[in-house]
Amino acid sequence: MSEDLLRGFKATGAESSGVVVEKKALKQLTKRSDAPGLRYLAIWAALLAGSGFLLHTSFSLGIWAIVPAMILYGSILTVPAYSLSHECSHGTAFRTRWLNESVLYITSVLYLEGPYFRRYAHARHHTYTWLRGLDAQMPFETPVTLKGWILEVSNIGQYLYDFPHMLRNALGLYRQDVLEFTPASELPKLKWEARILLAIYIGGAGAAIWTGALWPLFYLAIPRMVGGVTMQLYTIIQHAEMEENNPNILKSTRSFSTNWFGNFLYANMANHVEHHLYPTVPFYKLPDLHKAVADQVPARDGGLFRNNARILRAVLQRAFGRTTELSEKKAA
Amino acid sequence: MSREWTLVCAADKIDEEDVYRFDHEGKTFAVYNTPKGFFASDGLCTHEEAHLADGLVIGTVIECPLHQGRFDIVTGKAKSPPVCIDLKTYPVKVEDDQVFIQLGG
Repeated sequence: MSEDLLRGFKATGAESSGVVVEKKALKQLTKRSDAPGLRYLAIWAALLAGSGFLLHTSFSLGIWAIVPAMILYGSILTVPAYSLSHECSHGTAFRTRWLNESVLYITSVLYLEGPYFRRYAHARHHTYTWLRGLDAQMPFETPVTLKGWILEVSNIGQYLYDFPHMLRNALGLYRQDVLEFTPASELPKLKWEARILLAIYIGGAGAAIWTGALWPLFYLAIPRMVGGVTMQLYTIIQHAEMEENNPNILKSTRSFSTNWFGNFLYANMANHVEHHLYPTVPFYKLPDLHKAVADQVPARDGGLFRNNARILRAVLQRAFGRTTELSEKKAA
Repeated sequence: MSREWTLVCAADKIDEEDVYRFDHEGKTFAVYNTPKGFFASDGLCTHEEAHLADGLVIGTVIECPLHQGRFDIVTGKAKSPPVCIDLKTYPVKVEDDQVFIQLGG
């Protein structure tokens, strides 16, 4: 990380990117309400019930039906859990605080990351977005290698990151990066949330084995692993193959186009540039924020599939010894 | 700084449930108009020094624009991570539709 960059450093966001939204307009965009979040929860519950029924039915039909049903249910279980836990960690999902915190705690169990740990690590991600050595949520070496891409997209990378962190935090053996982004006075909270999460996972698995119950395996564990892949296909395109060590969000972060279903699963985070510019804006106002800054941000270039294909192509090019725009920049 | 009252601005310059940035003698302050009246605090978040005047007032809570940490405007108490250090508050009065802040002490 360049010393020059850190001299007089301003947190990455609208100011570091030269983007401005007039204060009164921004105030309207940041206003909080409970209704959109409650509507989201209701739709999520309905989709979970519907896709869960399809999965249940598929078990009597054979593997040709089980696979697509599992992908659908797993994605509906996992991606909104990620999206809600992220939104609630910002405190923006609901106006009513206890509602926000309750949803944060429940979805954090599904996302596999404690709320305090998430808040401190994610705060560091917003302060130092995609700045190597400073951003606490840069999950792979950049430019991403084939091994890094496989670990990330399979979601194995998350398990290898979160479970060791959870275990170490539970024992009070914090890693150096955790000590850097967490105030010392807050470390006991990290320790206790890690212990509670581990107790839920180990206790839940133990109870399922003890009673011989299979539903946690087929309706929670396996769908979470399958849906983890869908989740990573959304999250990897937030920053991968964008410029690193540049405090300008317009260079380090990618927004993309998607349809109603994608916007639902991802809680409008396809507007990712906009989210990093003004993280106080709740998910249901991100499309309005996009309109407000449309003439100040790059035009979107494709959706989920095109951007994932773009990243995979660059990863494969490097794997076969060819240079890419990002590897040339890094070498320079 | 003295304990005298310092003029901030006209009261109607700060909308209801809003915050105003007041720079004075090299320091920055945040002055709030809440449903419980006017209040003032240091202007920078105790977490990573973002200007609270760019934040969101929700009732008597100020939310930092950078990481959405929250403080109680009335007491300055840190309410939600990532903030964990309380905010210094200052007495405020409104006279003749003008907002004053008492600094120092």
